[in-house]
Amino acid sequence: MSSDLAIESAGGERMRINMGPHHPATHGVLRLIVECDGEIVSSATPDHGYLHRSIEKIGECVEWPMFVPYTDRVDYVCAMNANLAYCVAVEKLLATDKTTAVQVPRRAEVIRVIVAELNRISSHLVAVGAMSMDLGAYTPFLHGIAQREGVNDIFEKLCGQRLTYNYITIGGVGFDLHTGAVEEIESFLAQFEKEMIRFNKLITTNTIFRDRCAGIAVISAAEAVAYGLVGPNLRGSGVDWDIRRDEPYGIYGELGVRVPVGQGYAGRTGKVGDCYDRFIVRLLEINESVRLIRAALKLLPPAAEKPADPVGGFQADVAKALRKPPKGEIRVRTEAPRGEMGYVIVSDGTKTPYRVRCRTGSFTACSIFNKLMKGIFLADIVTVIGSFDIVVPEIDR
Amino acid sequence: MTLGPAVDALAQWLSGPDPAWWAVGAAIVAVWVLPVLAVVFPVAAIGQIIERKVAAAMQRRHGPNTVGIDGIVRLVVRLGGFFLPRASQDRLVERICALPGLGLLKVLGLGQLAADGVKMIGKEDFIPAGTDGLIFRAAPYLALTGAFLPFAVIPFAQDLVALEVPVAALYALAVSGVTVIALLMAGWGSGNKFSLLGGMRAVAQVISYEIPVGLAIAGVVLWCGTMDLHQIVAHQYNGEWYSFLGWNIVQSPFLFLLACILFFGGLAECQRTPFDMAEAESELVSGFNTEYSGLRWGMFAMAEYTEMILVGCLVSTLFLGGYQSPIGENWIITLAPWLQTILHVGIFAAKFTAFVVLMVWIRWTLPRFRVDQVMRLCWLTLVPLCLVCLFGLALTMLLANGTVTGAAFGRLPAMQHLALGPVGYLLAWAIPVAVAVVLIVLARRKYGQMHPALRELTGGAS
Repeated sequence: MSSDLAIESAGGERMRINMGPHHPATHGVLRLIVECDGEIVSSATPDHGYLHRSIEKIGECVEWPMFVPYTDRVDYVCAMNANLAYCVAVEKLLATDKTTAVQVPRRAEVIRVIVAELNRISSHLVAVGAMSMDLGAYTPFLHGIAQREGVNDIFEKLCGQRLTYNYITIGGVGFDLHTGAVEEIESFLAQFEKEMIRFNKLITTNTIFRDRCAGIAVISAAEAVAYGLVGPNLRGSGVDWDIRRDEPYGIYGELGVRVPVGQGYAGRTGKVGDCYDRFIVRLLEINESVRLIRAALKLLPPAAEKPADPVGGFQADVAKALRKPPKGEIRVRTEAPRGEMGYVIVSDGTKTPYRVRCRTGSFTACSIFNKLMKGIFLADIVTVIGSFDIVVPEIDR
Repeated sequence: MTLGPAVDALAQWLSGPDPAWWAVGAAIVAVWVLPVLAVVFPVAAIGQIIERKVAAAMQRRHGPNTVGIDGIVRLVVRLGGFFLPRASQDRLVERICALPGLGLLKVLGLGQLAADGVKMIGKEDFIPAGTDGLIFRAAPYLALTGAFLPFAVIPFAQDLVALEVPVAALYALAVSGVTVIALLMAGWGSGNKFSLLGGMRAVAQVISYEIPVGLAIAGVVLWCGTMDLHQIVAHQYNGEWYSFLGWNIVQSPFLFLLACILFFGGLAECQRTPFDMAEAESELVSGFNTEYSGLRWGMFAMAEYTEMILVGCLVSTLFLGGYQSPIGENWIITLAPWLQTILHVGIFAAKFTAFVVLMVWIRWTLPRFRVDQVMRLCWLTLVPLCLVCLFGLALTMLLANGTVTGAAFGRLPAMQHLALGPVGYLLAWAIPVAVAVVLIVLARRKYGQMHPALRELTGGAS
């Protein structure tokens, strides 16, 4: 990659700036090679690989359930969703053969939705908070992080971890809900909704914030599809597509997911698919997640004695099936906060996968950066990066 | 309380035979440098502690709260009581720290200031390779100089001013411009592209915003007919118990607008959010001071806080009656001079501190503008608005007095005569306010519609 980046001369009076890998606004170790003419950017090329940990290669060396903790590290901002994507994929693989098929207990399915949506909330809080911080407003970020702590507290009681949970397992979840979890989640949601109203009054409807995001980095719907954007970035451009609704997995089909899309929320100066639309879509998704959690809590069946109980249990017995899974190749996609998180897993019938490959939203989002960043201001680069909510471990894996 | 007599004495002594030059040096240090330092550090410290405490309160955290006085006590006991056994030293420290009141110091985290100061002074004076040596090293001094020079003409009380200049307002505006050279030097001398961009942004911004600031000051000069800050303060004295009605800010809506413009222009000149283009930590890492550390960085920080206080002082002096009390100023000036001075300094400090708190509040609430938006705000909004205000002000004076030459007044007990009668006063407020309200309503109707989804996000509020 670096060889074609080594441009002999920048030409004219251009200045080349390395934004990153150590830069406050690149959300980790993304490196952008920015060429600019004063404050105007003429090109910005992302350079990846600073956080590569060979997770996909590791997947070929460890047994099926042992890969779950590694999925946490693919995207540590929404580790529950990352767990879920892999586990759903393996379950789908096991379901190709009647002898190995596992039925995930109903209670586990509901718990999965609850934790996945809670994690979506906390992930989006980081996204909107970090974007407002990139635009110079530090206080909303801390208010968002304070709410994220509430989610982390619930998860800590649930599985002992605050960041990389390793909670969702193949065939269910690691532990049943702890005593009082339902009340805790409900009281968290009640205060969270009030806090979000305050957050939105503080930053979302702020004129300076809106004017900085409106009309910046506009992506048309066709472009968004062509560049393979996913998740809120795709929906921000007005494309009505959400895996949870359109290819439902788990119990999402029963919940009736409502999908917010970009509509030019900034008003007069805004266009469909600008940075402000992507930001607002995330906030609306937070509200939708709150609704989904409440709906899921209503569906939660009472706990049963046996963990493997098909209704009230939390973990189906998969040990035997995973020793000799069916051969084949499975592709599954799920809706993570940063869009589609897809897993392609190839099994050769042994207890370790033949190939595990994941497809993440941040990686494809980077492909459109250079196009979007031509001709914008240097200050807008951070707006664009923030609006895409990239998480660098997801790019490099 | 001016420094004049001391300087005169010094000059007299210098002109005598065979001065001992080391004594001259010491005297200069004693007379000039020490008082300046004695002001510099507390002023910057006040700004710092306000900043950290307000930010902490807004972000629902404690802020500095652990560094108390006990560390200092421990140090003193260790040094002073070195002959005692260690255990009794510790017991002594515990005893002293248990005294009532010292705990409060710890809660307020005031010890953090001392700790920060010691840390800054103790750090290595690191100068990266590739810097432009002299320029890099000189910039912080210049920044601090530019920030402190204007204080020479600010009247803190009736007779408490370092330098009496008839063109004080012009002087303050002129010397505060020195800071921009320092920012450019820091940006260029650092040999870092982020610094360079920050420095260039700072220059463009500060120079632009000097125009609305200058025009706002010109409005006051027009109204009061003088550039002497003392006389401008005296002009705002109405001799009644409701003394705040004499202040410039309530004299006319145009003056009110000019006060706002001066405040926001000042905000932009000291590079505070939402105008912190030059630092912009998420864009330019830390802008012009990216490569600075230790005491040199500390000088920039002190310059920033000092400038904030300067803006507060200028707005208070020009528009808010300076050191005068909002009520009962006519009673205060009958008191003994020393008591008067104390009260006036306290009132003035309260005024500029309120502005500093306001600036900190704004900083931790608002996001940052973009470079072009900052420039557009200055040239397309503030400058025309200033001109409109100046014109409106002149028109008001012409209609009320038949002349646009403001009358110069003497020192405080000299009464200010209301230039406008009650009807004129009402009209002067009513007409511009009505025009403004109509404009705002029209603008809201045309541009202020919020998307329904946003209304839902903010809990139904429009």
